[in-house]
Amino acid sequence: MLATNLKILSVVLGTILFYTYLAGSIPQVESEVPAELDLSANVTAEELVAAGEELYAGGGGCLACHGTGTRAPNLLEPDGATGLIGERCGQRVEGMVCKEYLHASLIRPTDFVVPGFDPIMPDMSRTLSESQVWTLVAYLESLGGEVTVSSEDLAASAADPAGGATAGSAAPASTTMEPMALLEENQCLVCHQLGDQGAPIGPPFTDVGARRDVDFIRSKVLDPASVQPAEGYEALAGTMPTTFGTQLSAAQLEVIVQFLAEQR
Amino acid sequence: MTFRRIGRGSLRLLLATLFVAPFLTDVLLAQEAVGAVREYGDFPVIGARGAVWIAAQVHLLFAAFVLGVPMFAIGAEAIGIFKKDTRYDRLAKEFTRLLVIAYSATAIWGAVLVFFLTTLYPAFWGHLASIFEVSMWFYVGLFFFESFTLYLYYYGWDRWKLGRAKLGHWGLGILLNIWGTAVMLIANSWLSYMMSPPAEMTPDTAPEMVQFWSAFANATWMPINIHRIIANVVFGGAIVAAYAAYRFLLAKSDEERAHYDWMGYVGNLIAIGALIVLPFAGYYLGREIYEYNQQMGITMMGGFMSWLWIIQAVLIGVLFLAGNYYLWVGMGRIPGAERFTPYIKYMLVVLVIGVIVWATPHTMIADRDELAAMGGTHHPFLGALGVMSAKNTAVNLMILTTFLSFLLYRRANLRPTIAWARSGTIVQGLLFAMAAAVVLFFGIYGYFVTAIVRIGFSVYQVLAVLTAIVGVVVLDVFMARGAESRGEIRWGQMPARSQYALFVLVVTFTWLMGLMGFARSGIRQHWHVWEVMRDTSPWAATPALGPAAQMISVCVLIFLVLIAFIFWLGGLIEKPQLVVRLRPDDPRVGERDPAVHGSELDFLPAD
Repeated sequence: MLATNLKILSVVLGTILFYTYLAGSIPQVESEVPAELDLSANVTAEELVAAGEELYAGGGGCLACHGTGTRAPNLLEPDGATGLIGERCGQRVEGMVCKEYLHASLIRPTDFVVPGFDPIMPDMSRTLSESQVWTLVAYLESLGGEVTVSSEDLAASAADPAGGATAGSAAPASTTMEPMALLEENQCLVCHQLGDQGAPIGPPFTDVGARRDVDFIRSKVLDPASVQPAEGYEALAGTMPTTFGTQLSAAQLEVIVQFLAEQR
Repeated sequence: MTFRRIGRGSLRLLLATLFVAPFLTDVLLAQEAVGAVREYGDFPVIGARGAVWIAAQVHLLFAAFVLGVPMFAIGAEAIGIFKKDTRYDRLAKEFTRLLVIAYSATAIWGAVLVFFLTTLYPAFWGHLASIFEVSMWFYVGLFFFESFTLYLYYYGWDRWKLGRAKLGHWGLGILLNIWGTAVMLIANSWLSYMMSPPAEMTPDTAPEMVQFWSAFANATWMPINIHRIIANVVFGGAIVAAYAAYRFLLAKSDEERAHYDWMGYVGNLIAIGALIVLPFAGYYLGREIYEYNQQMGITMMGGFMSWLWIIQAVLIGVLFLAGNYYLWVGMGRIPGAERFTPYIKYMLVVLVIGVIVWATPHTMIADRDELAAMGGTHHPFLGALGVMSAKNTAVNLMILTTFLSFLLYRRANLRPTIAWARSGTIVQGLLFAMAAAVVLFFGIYGYFVTAIVRIGFSVYQVLAVLTAIVGVVVLDVFMARGAESRGEIRWGQMPARSQYALFVLVVTFTWLMGLMGFARSGIRQHWHVWEVMRDTSPWAATPALGPAAQMISVCVLIFLVLIAFIFWLGGLIEKPQLVVRLRPDDPRVGERDPAVHGSELDFLPAD
């Protein structure tokens, strides 16, 4: 009886030890907490880059996608002839310098989806502070380019925490009531197709009025998560920006809603 | 968040749990008198997180046991009633006896968890209580119903054992399951809320502004409910099988060995049978997590947790191999099974290749040095095996193979007598072949389409496998009607090594539950409530797999030691009653042998 009990004990403990050893022998990756930054007014570019690199590889969680190259562009490797991200960032969007493009890509990621990839990147301002976002911009600039982020950018962010530090990240100040202009200004056509305009990433606008009523469209624009994703687009749930309620005036919102409802 | 809000929320909860912890009310009132509540407490040596981790995990393992075993019990009792096979009835009662003790352990660990949360994470607990207070009242109320239904179910077993009374008793078992499931649904809402709070919530949202139902029936609630219900069945079956294995190995008579061999078979059948459908529930849960928040989904599958799924693949591989091994060894005691022996090696090859493919790493987090060492983002050769197309194909083929093992086991000693037996077998073969073809086709085609399309292919693969399983089972039931026996199953004539496979199964299931608990909780990273309430404690960083595995092993050991104690205690309360089936003309029919190594034997005629 003792021998049998010892055998059973050996099997049980051996199995537990095997799994413990196995889990301990693989690469150990801890999910770090993004460190709160205390950057002084005299912060140097090197300090910003170092903080950004730590965030990129750790608490920021960037490597989960941007370190693989399958879900999102691998920012640690050159992209063909255009080089590393620090080299190519200034050429991505006409009229936007590198740091504006990178900053806007971090806090409004669905505005600039690289062809061939899905719009899955979250708005990093939900999980990171403005200072942290700027250190990431500095780090990405340093990969093949010149670091232009400075303490002034951080100070501007602190003065306008809503994100108005750069032209690229500011909410549109337009007062236009022209529906097509509103769609373009708010980057709706980056993901939605209307006629021959726009990209076929999200549900098309072309016949949206035939599929959805006014209330649904208004709810979707104001709070995308409050309504069910369109059939066939479930995988994109959670990717539509949730900022239109603050970007648009009430009148502009109604112009867009009525315009879309008429698309049949 | 103000102190008064937290204090009153906690107070309401504690008032509701007065019967468990009356003194805590005083503690809370004292806090209110002192001033602002602290955010976190501390615990010696292992820290607050370690203490809560152990309490939560061990409580959850016991909870799975006390939810899984009643499902097992009413199933066994029903077979006993409707097939008039008293072995099943005794089996159900034997395990219900253990339930009575296990309930106490579950409640104790639940109380430990509540006390740890209120003292170590008071602000977070106050947040939860503010939103879920009503459901917490229902929760403790349901405990009363559940406990007293269990007492009635167990202590009324022999009193209500005949006729309509027996059906009423079975109804009590069903009621016990309903209460237990309701308790689980409520607790699941709290933990799933932590993962997927209503989308409109932000860190500035006051808890009292949150609509109860939107927090309760959140995005991941139902997928977790389904996953846990199935997992509890698996766990209950595995525990039953391990208990039987232990009794089998220590048995001193052939009758005892026969009884516990049969019990081990039934437990393993339930565990592996439910395990086959568990991955489908897992897909559903994973899909809902992705739909709720892409970032969370990516953190889970491709972020810092990407290696966790390799460990999970190894564990599930062990489950499939051990489960099939037990079946294959068990075929040695079935007359007629030898005709299937040549096929076992091929099934083993499929399973081993499946495990290897499933456990191939892919899309791991890599820094610049690691990328340079690998020569790219993926391994040049093995990278192709690690993608979801290959893994989905592997796991679906493993499920089909395991199901084939079951089918061969079931058919081993049967000789169908129906006229269309040969045609039926051919159709069954075709169903297997078609399912395998569909799985392989979409597995290969998945390499040539985009990720979003590829994800959709897994649905077709799953449907093909499920269709084959359902179709083959239905055919088999009809084919088995009136079938001739090739000989009685020689229960008890099972090599000892097969029983150790059952121990490996139960340890692996338990460890896997700990690992999946870590995964579910860990994907929130440094958030108590995802993107709503940040964890600012010293233990906010989610540990790597190595330290997490050590914690899981500690929890598993605590649980197994306690459950072994409960089994031993159960043996002290009442001797198990075994039933030995004899030919009707056997002179021992109707006798009872009261002194056979800690059990009682009833000699009954074969049905």
